[in-house]
Amino acid sequence: MFEIEVLGDGRIRLAGRLDAAEADRARTALRAVSGPATMDFEHLEYISSAGLGVIVESYKRLHDAGHSLKLVRLKPRIRTIFTYAGLDKVLTIE
Amino acid sequence: MMERRFPRDLGSLEPMSRFVAGYLDSRGFDPEHGYTVDLIIEELFTNMVRHGKGGPEVDLALGGEGKDLIIRLRDYGVEPFDPTAAPEVDVDRPIEERRAGGLGIHLTRKLADTMSYEYRDRCSVITVTKRLAL
Repeated sequence: MFEIEVLGDGRIRLAGRLDAAEADRARTALRAVSGPATMDFEHLEYISSAGLGVIVESYKRLHDAGHSLKLVRLKPRIRTIFTYAGLDKVLTIE
Repeated sequence: MMERRFPRDLGSLEPMSRFVAGYLDSRGFDPEHGYTVDLIIEELFTNMVRHGKGGPEVDLALGGEGKDLIIRLRDYGVEPFDPTAAPEVDVDRPIEERRAGGLGIHLTRKLADTMSYEYRDRCSVITVTKRLAL
């Protein structure tokens, strides 16, 4: 199960499993974000390359519009996948 | 090997994950390993769903002994697609210059110990091995 909540103050909460079956739902929800944003990964248990693609798309869209995207509270196993994908050097991960 | 057949559909990812969890538990593995195993299976299976255009179902088998896990995916009625021969993704390139696709196989290569491919009688068989801590 995957949940995404886009809050009005630029915070985005992710929870559960962001896999290929849920990537379109995440993509649609993230299109509502149009300013500086912080994604909270505290309750995200799983992400695959499909999920990484959604995050990268959002980063590019916001970056091109002059906004920042920050990723916070990643579990170590999730952070490892960002590192393997070379995204730890591109995205702001705290 | 413990084998189960799943519909060629992304909706199979969740039941596949439950199948993996049950198998790892039966072998006494730490459930934390489910992440790595699920990820390898998802990346290979989604390639089959998107590009295979084969039969309506794909077989997933899990096996091995001791700390070794074998993952085998069998895709029937398809043209050959060898993920072991796919070009490597350069993850050091700036994000704007990266091409779409290929990241899933890159992650599989990073996570797996070995990956092999066989094609016979219009059937693709991908076998991955992974040594896990108990």
